[in-house]
Amino acid sequence: MTSVPSKRYSDDVSLVVVLLDTNPFFWTASSSLSFSQFLSHVLAFVNSILLLNQLNQVVVIATGYNTCDYIYDSSMDASQSSEKGRMPSVYSNLLQKLEEFMIKDEKLGKEQSQRAIASSLLSGSLSMALCYIQRVFRSGPLHPQPRILCLQGSSDGPEQYVAVMNAIFSAQRSMVPIDSCYVGANNSAFLQQASYITGGVYVKPQHLDGLFQYLTTVFATDLHSRSFIRLPRPAGVDFRASCFCHKTTIDMGYICSVCLSIFCKHHKKCSTCGSVFGQAQSDTSSASDHKRKAPET
Amino acid sequence: MASGQVSKRVKFKSSVKDPGTPGRLFLTLERLMFKPNSPNSATKLNMEFKFIKNHRYTKEGSNKAPMLNLTSSQGVSYIFEFESYDDLQVCKECVGKALSKTGETPKPVDTSEVPSEQPSTEELLSRMNMLRENRAWKDDGKRVQKPMLLYFLKKSKKVLDISDFFLYELQKLHKRFVRDGILTEAEFWATRKKLLGANSSKKSKQRTGLKSVMLSDTKPSTDGRTNKVTFTLTPEIVREIFAEKPAVHQAYMELVPKKMSERDFWSKYCRAEYLQHAKSANAAAAAEAEAAEDEELALFLKPDNLLAKETKRKIKCVDPTLDLEADEGDDYTHLPDHGIVRDGSKEITESQRQLHIRTLSQELNRHAAVVLQGTPIDEEQLKDTQTVAEALNQSKHGQDTSNEEADMNANQDRLSRISKMMEIDDLQASSDLPLAPLSIKDPRDYFDSQQASALKTSRDTSIGTDPVKRNLSAGESYASLRDSISLIKTTGLVDPIITPEVAVKVLSVLTHNISSTKYDLGKNPGLSVLDTLPNTIKEELLYHWTSLQELLRHYWSSYPITTTYLYTKVSRLKDAMSKIDSQLQELKESVLSDLRHQVTLLIRPMQQALEAAMQHYDAEMQKRSARSAERSNGYT
Amino acid sequence: MPQVRIIAKNFMDMVASLPAMKLDRLYQNAFICEAILRSLPPLAKKYVVQMLFFDGPISGKLLEEWVLADGVTKHKVAIDRLIQLRIFTEAVDKKRESSYKLNQTFQVNLQKHLTNGGVLPREPMASTVRLPSLEELDTYAHEQWEVGSSSLCFHYPSHLHCSGQAEKPTNLSSSMMRIFQRGLLTQRDKDAPRLTEGGFQFLLMDTNAQLWYIIRDYISNSEERGTDPADLISFLLELSFHVTGEAYNMNTLTEIQRNAIKELADLGLVKLQQGRKESWFIPTKLATNLSVSLTDSSSRKQFASSLMILVGMFFMVIVIMHATGHVVVETNFRIYAYSSSKLHCEILRLFSKIEYQLPNLIVGAITKESLYTAFDNGITADQIISFLQQNAHPRVAERLPSVPENVTDQIRLWEADLNRVEMTSSHLYDEFPSRDTFEAACDFAREWNSLLWEDSKKMRLVVKAEIHMNMREFLRGQK
Repeated sequence: MTSVPSKRYSDDVSLVVVLLDTNPFFWTASSSLSFSQFLSHVLAFVNSILLLNQLNQVVVIATGYNTCDYIYDSSMDASQSSEKGRMPSVYSNLLQKLEEFMIKDEKLGKEQSQRAIASSLLSGSLSMALCYIQRVFRSGPLHPQPRILCLQGSSDGPEQYVAVMNAIFSAQRSMVPIDSCYVGANNSAFLQQASYITGGVYVKPQHLDGLFQYLTTVFATDLHSRSFIRLPRPAGVDFRASCFCHKTTIDMGYICSVCLSIFCKHHKKCSTCGSVFGQAQSDTSSASDHKRKAPET
Repeated sequence: MASGQVSKRVKFKSSVKDPGTPGRLFLTLERLMFKPNSPNSATKLNMEFKFIKNHRYTKEGSNKAPMLNLTSSQGVSYIFEFESYDDLQVCKECVGKALSKTGETPKPVDTSEVPSEQPSTEELLSRMNMLRENRAWKDDGKRVQKPMLLYFLKKSKKVLDISDFFLYELQKLHKRFVRDGILTEAEFWATRKKLLGANSSKKSKQRTGLKSVMLSDTKPSTDGRTNKVTFTLTPEIVREIFAEKPAVHQAYMELVPKKMSERDFWSKYCRAEYLQHAKSANAAAAAEAEAAEDEELALFLKPDNLLAKETKRKIKCVDPTLDLEADEGDDYTHLPDHGIVRDGSKEITESQRQLHIRTLSQELNRHAAVVLQGTPIDEEQLKDTQTVAEALNQSKHGQDTSNEEADMNANQDRLSRISKMMEIDDLQASSDLPLAPLSIKDPRDYFDSQQASALKTSRDTSIGTDPVKRNLSAGESYASLRDSISLIKTTGLVDPIITPEVAVKVLSVLTHNISSTKYDLGKNPGLSVLDTLPNTIKEELLYHWTSLQELLRHYWSSYPITTTYLYTKVSRLKDAMSKIDSQLQELKESVLSDLRHQVTLLIRPMQQALEAAMQHYDAEMQKRSARSAERSNGYT
Repeated sequence: MPQVRIIAKNFMDMVASLPAMKLDRLYQNAFICEAILRSLPPLAKKYVVQMLFFDGPISGKLLEEWVLADGVTKHKVAIDRLIQLRIFTEAVDKKRESSYKLNQTFQVNLQKHLTNGGVLPREPMASTVRLPSLEELDTYAHEQWEVGSSSLCFHYPSHLHCSGQAEKPTNLSSSMMRIFQRGLLTQRDKDAPRLTEGGFQFLLMDTNAQLWYIIRDYISNSEERGTDPADLISFLLELSFHVTGEAYNMNTLTEIQRNAIKELADLGLVKLQQGRKESWFIPTKLATNLSVSLTDSSSRKQFASSLMILVGMFFMVIVIMHATGHVVVETNFRIYAYSSSKLHCEILRLFSKIEYQLPNLIVGAITKESLYTAFDNGITADQIISFLQQNAHPRVAERLPSVPENVTDQIRLWEADLNRVEMTSSHLYDEFPSRDTFEAACDFAREWNSLLWEDSKKMRLVVKAEIHMNMREFLRGQK
């Protein structure tokens, strides 16, 4: 009879924020999985999440090439009725908004110059997802347990590095796991790190025609069940850093105390942020001194 | 007796039925001797008192012969039959003195002769303390946070749990090694004693505590014929009364002997007690009437102000930030002005019985508190009530000041805590240190360094970001995507979404992946390898681990072998270690196949340590034998 | 301590106890499949979803591979529940390894649901008439509830000083009334019905548990009324997928359903309306949330409101006036309840002393005496605390803890206070002539299970007073 009072979350009610990669350059280049197939799997997955619990909530954010936007929110979508029995309103609403989004994305693209790597705006959609989740957190004591699912295909955009890492860390801080399912060719360093740091799951499906099965078996697992379910774990993430100057992996090095850039040998000035370092102590000093060397700005 | 030696004619018996050997018993404070009358007799006895554990004797008046029964620590009993009860009485006193004397002096550690020394609880506690300290401080830098932790824990009650845990562990180890004769008691504790430092070696002698029996509960005896009621008061009882009822104590200090005689005082007190305990209503009424006449009597009947004052002081100590721990043990709610206002007396009238329950529990609490406080008075002072009262007064005074000091300290603590909390609170104005904006020229640097390592691990051959083949213009790409959206819109989802074959394939691939990473050790910081094991195996492993540590510590500390004693110890340890080795082997073989790999990995370091020890042992043995061959006069 | 487990089983246990035939028939309806799926434990849901597109059986070993060591029991529970509900059929092969297969109908229905969405058995009517808005529906329920609340006092034990308000409820069907009289109220002869101990506890139960109680009794009573429980369950589940506030034609219902819906209207699940030609029903929030309540997940706000309506209809005292709580507890043991309801006043009076009653505010204080009264009535400290927590005013509910710790602790302490010292009247025996007699006496007392204490050294023992006579006999015999 010792009921746990004021339980903040109910057990398995989830809020899944799905980040949908809609980068046209990736999808047209992708041969193994067409966008319509991909959408089919994802839509069915979204519906199955909603099926699992009446209180489950799904938000879909499109990660475009130039912009990102919310394209579906199940809490706004009051009626569950189907459109003349052919397709659930979930699908038609989502597709409608997605189409509008594509047009907007294209329009914006015309004004901007093209980037070297056709990456999609992951940092933007991650931030939007986190904002949404923050709003849910503040809505009151009772809310579903949020998690983010990145469905990404295009490769990482280096220029977004800082923004993405910031998003990852704030997700970690608010205990929101970032799951990622990467359908592209190589592994995504962003997503691997995101999932690792936030305690989410990173999966790179081998059989893309069975994407739905991956999604339901791995990513439909609610946070409550994760405490007693074994989910795929990465074989190991190598956290050794590579230096900024030669891109070689090092075990020990110099770190700029201002911007945390890593160098394999002592520099007078940080190449990343321009901070001027003080005099290095005598080279005979012990290895532990390496890390202590800080710029005296 | 004056010389400290007593000699009496006795019969020495090994059991009650034994007819006994006539002879003489000599008793000194240190030893006892028995010399048989006939020089031929083999029964002789000459032993020190410290080996005598307890003594019993027949009571005078029973129709048994006057006998004294001494039991040694080995459990052997020596029975002496005296010629008269007077003789017995004299010897009894002597034995009693001797025993109390030896009891006080710390037992000489002579483990070879006292094989099963049972540590007293107090000793065990201090030993356990040592162990705790030992654990906390050793292991160099790896456990720096441990002393800090302990410091905090000590403040809370949790230290008890911890000590329980260590005690439990210690007991297990003790049982395993000492009972089985692998280590002697002395050896077992020696490694821990060292770390305790000088403090423990000259530990103050144990003080006798107060009895937990409530003496003042002793009922008045009636002779049954008259209405006379007799109370028996001993100094001990008086002390307890004083300690538990400060008001009585105060009254005594004021009144005796200036205003009334000691006897008057106590008869008044007893009368008050009697009236209070009397159950009938008219007795209570009588008490009130009497109290009205006699102000001294009233003193005893009214509730104890001093107690209330003390309770209030305690309440004052309760942290306003609600430290429940401080409050837990005390029930202040009976104080009229504590807590919330009661609503009228109508709703619940506390019956007389409930009042009784409350006062009884209060008395029990008070008594417990006094007992726990311990006795500041020495036995010698327990002679007459006057000295008792004064001594108690003195010690109380000391305590009060120390109490105040403690209060001050507590207050200080609280203040510092509050100020600390304030600091944490980020209500403070932001410090206006000048900020230099971070100017990062190109975040790509960060990415590249991460990407390089991330891709290296993912067993992908192609490194870096391969630019998407732009075989379509942006416009065409968008158009094709829009096409596929409208395709779904018109035709609906692919039906079925996936074929059963693919579904099965994917699930089995995933499952395979799961099972293969299941035993991937140490990759996930959140999961300890041990946690994946079933509890029994986990516990067994931990148990073996601690035992092995203990043995190895003893083993290596015995080198170099300089005495025979060390030699035997090492060989004993070696045997024990090889036993553990075989147990580990068994454990390894007994676990299920899917766990075996992990268990093997865990066991390996243990086995390596064992192996190193064994090798060292073998090498040493060879050296020894070689040496002893050289010089045939080895010390073995 | 009184038994508090009024509700032991949940709704799905009732479903699972239906005969196989009926279960299979239930699964013909896609919505029931969905509702049942939602009611499953999380792990079972996962199993069903990941096997949705399998055509063959899956081995139990494969499933177990995914389960961590401490989830094994959960795995077993999930599998058991699935088999119990006939969603899984188990097959054991020669090597005694079991494999599971999804129920065909269940599977197909869910698959269809995923790709095509569900189809309700009836479409909402084209809005020819003005339908009540959602707010109006809620008000409708509130009105009903006020009727109930005023008749509530009627059921209060007289010592709570509520009199004069006793109005007989008029619009409540007798079958509903019976549900309550069975467990929660006792009626002796001509006395007004009084709350039983169970009734007191019902009042302070968490909202979900209360709904369980009502629904369960309603369904298990259905057979008495000549309705098949399976039909009722299926209809209730189906109803939960209707859209709140839309009108549905009564003609689409079967005979049984039409009977049921009248009773459900009594419960506030639906509102019935009569047009010129045809009649229709409008599901309230309560109906559409029904399947939520079937799961074991903890209570939530939106649900609480609908429950309130339901329970209000039963004029059983419940909990909440608005969708949110109303009680503020201060560290000085004072309670403020923003409510004008007499009903709330009475609930609070169960364990606190009401001091003022202002038009929209009830002020009271938790006192030792008031709590002792509550404890006497068999209410536990935990129940009181969880009541206060669940009904915390939204302003305080945001905080943690919503009820000050010193208050909750004090409530618990007061409860513990009652159990601090247990008085047992007893007798002390001493001065035994011999050890044998003493031992024999001890054994004798032990046999009677009333040996309270013994001191073998001084040969004294304390024995419960009840067996004093027997003991005396015994000792006399010993001599």
